[in-house]
Amino acid sequence: MIYDLIIIGGGPGGITSGIYAGRQGLKTLLITKDFGGQIAKKGINIENWPGNKSISGQQLIKNFVDHLKEQKEVEIKFSSVVKVEKDNKNFIVLTSDNKKFKSLSVIIAIGTELKHLNILGEEKFKGRGVSYCSICDGPLFKNKNVAVIGGGNSGFETSLFLSKYAKKIYILEYFSNVNADKKNQELVKKNKKIKIITNAKVKEIKGNNFVEELVYDDLKDKKTKRLKIEGVFIQIGCEPKTSIVESLVDLNEKKEIEVNHFNLQTKTPGLFAIGDVNSGKYKQIVIAAGEGAKATLFACQYLKENKLS
Amino acid sequence: MNKVKIYSTPYCPYCVTLKNFLKQHNIEFEDIDVSENESALQEMVEKSKQMGVPVIDINGEIIVGFDKERISKLLNIN
Repeated sequence: MIYDLIIIGGGPGGITSGIYAGRQGLKTLLITKDFGGQIAKKGINIENWPGNKSISGQQLIKNFVDHLKEQKEVEIKFSSVVKVEKDNKNFIVLTSDNKKFKSLSVIIAIGTELKHLNILGEEKFKGRGVSYCSICDGPLFKNKNVAVIGGGNSGFETSLFLSKYAKKIYILEYFSNVNADKKNQELVKKNKKIKIITNAKVKEIKGNNFVEELVYDDLKDKKTKRLKIEGVFIQIGCEPKTSIVESLVDLNEKKEIEVNHFNLQTKTPGLFAIGDVNSGKYKQIVIAAGEGAKATLFACQYLKENKLS
Repeated sequence: MNKVKIYSTPYCPYCVTLKNFLKQHNIEFEDIDVSENESALQEMVEKSKQMGVPVIDINGEIIVGFDKERISKLLNIN
């Protein structure tokens, strides 16, 4: 069995590709670990998806998935892709359960994954106070003191969500200024539970069985300081896990996949990359979805022009 | 009859995935929202020695996260 198209990823980009592929009648396989990517884990509502003034990430994804499941031509497989290769004219996609799938074209829509701090105690206390998913674990920190690492939009949104539960939230930012947008800064300013600490280089997470303390260097007064906290939420940005296609694409310095932004194609004909994983500057749900549509239509054109399908 | 208990929080996507998976396979389970139940939260931490959700207790066997393979094996899901 050779598919016309394999889509890797189940976020807004991959799902939109699936809907377009179904409507174009392509024999399609969509492979993903789970649906929703980053937006399923967002703690606050999404307010920039046209047609919905305000919608939770979980609800938006549910709408996307319901729409995708209407496409009878699209098979869905829950798995992780470990490698994408090309053998003559076919792509070969290998999954973590040792299965091989063949296709004539591939769309990579794997997004990015949260970055780790790589400091002492981070790995040891993962799941024991250290969390990367505030909407999962945040409600467990009722009336406790917690720290959020990162002063960007994710850090601010995480803190606002946590303020429904925690007693006190410290946002720690490495630079002298925070990078969150104006609206988030205003909301945080109004929130008495949240305190921002800038110029903070986080050094170590300490405790016995569970997190008890966070150690950081104050880069301004050059002193080592400690916070008594029980939770650490790490929100220092994302990086793409592009090693699965390394041999077929060019990567930029951020390890994002270089594409021709006209048609989203990589340097390998028939292989496309969309959404947060490619070298596009702005990372937005609506952009990922738009690129999903565009790449699928160009994939159709590629199949026709090469008389593959 | 399997005794299945899930410790979860309301917005956690993996909790939703886990519950949908069990429903799909007609497995009955008790769902506890640990954000609203302090003693159940303590019980979850004691059993699993950690504080991430979801935690699933299948006849006394504790699994942290949506570990589809292990859960399927314990519940004889093919």
